[in-house]
Amino acid sequence: MERSSPAVEGCRWSLALLSAALGLVLPTPAFAHASDRGHVLLLPTGYYLIGGAFAVAASFLVLALLPPASLDRFWRRRLPLFTFSDSARATISLVSFAGFVILITAGPFGSRDPLSNPLPLVVWTLLWTGLTLLQGVFGDLWSWLNPWYGPWRLLSRLTGRGDEVARQLPQWLGCWPAVILFLAFAWFELIDPAPDDPARLAFAAGLYWLVTLIAMRVFGYDKWSRGGEFLGIFFSMVARFAPVARDDDGRLALCWPGAKLLAAEPLPASGMAFLLLALSSVSFDGLSKTFFWLGLFGINPLEFPGRTAVIDSGTLGLGMTFALLTAVFLLAVFLGQRLARSDRSLAQSAGLLVWSIVPIALAYHVAHYLTALLVDGQYALASLSDPFALGWNLFGTADMQVEAGIVAGAGSAWWLWNVQASAIILGHVLAVLVAHGFAWRLHPQPTRAALSQFPLTVLMIAYTIFGLWLLATPTVG
Amino acid sequence: MTDKNGFFDLSKTTLTRRNALKGLAAGAGLAMAPGFVRYSQAQSSAPIKIGFQSHRTGIGAAYGRWYEKTTAAAIKAINAAGGINGRQVEVIIEDDGTDPGRGAEVVGKFATQHKTDIVFGTLFSHVVIGSAPAAGEAKMPYFVVSEGHHVASTKLNRYVFQPGITDVKSQIQSMAPWIAANAGKKVTQIFPDFAFGYDHRDYLPPALKAQGAEVIAQIAIPPTESSFTKYFPQIPAETEVIYHVMVGPAVLTFVKELGEFYGSNRPQLFGFIDSLEATDINSPGLEFLDGSHFWEGSPRYAQPDDSAAQKAYRAAVGIDDNGAAVGDPKDVSTAAHMFGCWETLYVVKKAMEDAGYKGPEDRAKLVEATEALKEFAEGPEHPQGPKTFNGKIHQCFGIQNISKVEGGKLKVVHKTKIEDGLYEAEGDYTTQAL
Repeated sequence: MERSSPAVEGCRWSLALLSAALGLVLPTPAFAHASDRGHVLLLPTGYYLIGGAFAVAASFLVLALLPPASLDRFWRRRLPLFTFSDSARATISLVSFAGFVILITAGPFGSRDPLSNPLPLVVWTLLWTGLTLLQGVFGDLWSWLNPWYGPWRLLSRLTGRGDEVARQLPQWLGCWPAVILFLAFAWFELIDPAPDDPARLAFAAGLYWLVTLIAMRVFGYDKWSRGGEFLGIFFSMVARFAPVARDDDGRLALCWPGAKLLAAEPLPASGMAFLLLALSSVSFDGLSKTFFWLGLFGINPLEFPGRTAVIDSGTLGLGMTFALLTAVFLLAVFLGQRLARSDRSLAQSAGLLVWSIVPIALAYHVAHYLTALLVDGQYALASLSDPFALGWNLFGTADMQVEAGIVAGAGSAWWLWNVQASAIILGHVLAVLVAHGFAWRLHPQPTRAALSQFPLTVLMIAYTIFGLWLLATPTVG
Repeated sequence: MTDKNGFFDLSKTTLTRRNALKGLAAGAGLAMAPGFVRYSQAQSSAPIKIGFQSHRTGIGAAYGRWYEKTTAAAIKAINAAGGINGRQVEVIIEDDGTDPGRGAEVVGKFATQHKTDIVFGTLFSHVVIGSAPAAGEAKMPYFVVSEGHHVASTKLNRYVFQPGITDVKSQIQSMAPWIAANAGKKVTQIFPDFAFGYDHRDYLPPALKAQGAEVIAQIAIPPTESSFTKYFPQIPAETEVIYHVMVGPAVLTFVKELGEFYGSNRPQLFGFIDSLEATDINSPGLEFLDGSHFWEGSPRYAQPDDSAAQKAYRAAVGIDDNGAAVGDPKDVSTAAHMFGCWETLYVVKKAMEDAGYKGPEDRAKLVEATEALKEFAEGPEHPQGPKTFNGKIHQCFGIQNISKVEGGKLKVVHKTKIEDGLYEAEGDYTTQAL
């Protein structure tokens, strides 16, 4: 058995960063979750469900009693760091684009094994799972790493034509194109029979890249980035949670996690739909594997017939989860408005309060994809050393032993469960905190602010329990 | 058993998944390998292509990972010893998502796109059953490692073989003599209420009856059940043996609750390791299994009397004395089943050599050559034990292990005879046209 040297270890880390930089586009880790749910079934998860609900409820009560102004001041504190210019942005994006080209070439021409071909591993594990977490910690790395900015700048320079002659996207369109594209992405990730198939993924990712670049040329880079490029929109929303802030002049500062959300403007209906879709898609990913869900459709989870057999129920479920979450969220905001006797429009209140979904979405992401990240992340590092299955060993990781045992057994189940449960509970507590900050902005009178939050807090308590239940209940895979 | 042919002398090169699976193990060292000279005049130097229908994702992924490791190790050994008919072997993996629908698609892809010589390696029964028609249609020899009775039932087609692992009917039947003689005569079965459980429900009672024992109760548990205490009162008081074959995430809960129900005064317990394959036998909740017995295809734990071939096989695949990955003790293997990949590949090698196999145009000859095989001697190619092969039903028959949980390990206490698992053929594939 091989033991990795410090040099190899260092190489792995630089590879991890590099691979994040190389990353690109669409679908998901299928049922590759390696965690053993059987051990979790023996843990006292019921206490966690009750405790989590209490923690979220208690945080609401504490916030209601604290003087809002001092809390707000505390939360807005910044620790200035240094200035970080964005002069290298185009270059980094071009490097990222080069990596993307290599990856989508590896899709059809590399190994057919989704655990040896770097494309599905980078896209689903390093990008969709890993980069999302990095965005939540370090801020909007994607605005540097995306594989469009560099090529777009290059094209603009070559043609002597930038955004100034771009066609206008109608105002009413908002980010609906991104909502549609994200829905397509979620469907491909969660429902398509083979999102891990390297060639299939290469086609989807390559097509998305091309269409996006064309749209950026036609409508302008900034406009399409804000209205159509769903990955960038998702990542930038997540980045608003990060404890690192960077202002327009490039000055970096540390702030409290989630504090940047408070400065957000109300989202239009399309932005609201986008955020709710982000949370509902990862929620449905969890739900769709539970014995409960499969039982509704008479599917034997012990002889799960595979993704090709659940396309219809999955499509229905994804749509219904989104519709249900949207309806319940709007109802909670509406009831809050009534309780606080607010004269603000529902659209304005909901558009602001929906930002409180970000910590929850991030928490679900952590909890749901943690095991896949730990195991498939290792496969990803190995695959990058030999992207075309030609026997290369570019980074010294090609022959590394993938230690699946990292998520196996009762001990791992215990700590994984605790990390996952903590993420879910903490995410909801922070969501309550963020919502509270917005409520104060909407209703400067403290009693009204607290009252307006009551229904939304009930929803968050329910979602905490739901999130923990998804992690505790029997599932396939 | 000694390693006369040097199959396991892998010291010259590091075993890696990649080069083994890509058939890149060639090179100067190979020319020296035993067997190479014999085949050096072979007509074609192009590699033999084996399509590996692999459960890389989906519910079979934990098995799939170990099937892949075992396959890589076998191919490495075969190539190091000169390949098949002097040609190196290349494995092409296609993920079937443990999905019968995709399984058929994958077989089609192997036939038309990759143009592989055979398709190999499928485990889950529903994928085998879903893929077999596509293999028959493409006239593609399809070597599965599934342990299902579907191949031997002769309800599939002439292109489907299971020569490297015994089928569940044979396994169950061969348990009966030991259970009746050592555990007890009155048996209550607890099984999941679907096809996997039905095999045990249907095959055990007649086998026990033939041994003078009887099944006195059969308790079918709905597959979605996660709490079992309410079923235990259905176990008759006179039960001497509980025969359990629960599978799925709730198995640990099942064992724990059974332990709470009985306390220290329990009937004998007999199970199939399928319930706990890839799961540490020392996991919390499984304490109640101490002293109970399990069927094992190939033993998970190294045994004091392991043959040289068994030791070499374990080293080649990379499992330690506890049946876990070398260097990753929590990664428990699927030892009871995965040996089937190793042995199947050696059967393919033998059949191809017997047939003088040159390429896809010889697939029919390969089918006939496989059907003509009669027995496989225990040794480096068949480390699990000796086997016979029934060419009419395309199924091998072999020994089974009965292991006792003792001191946190599974200790083999009985090895069945091949005859214990034989049964009347239910049909004859050889009458079907090729």
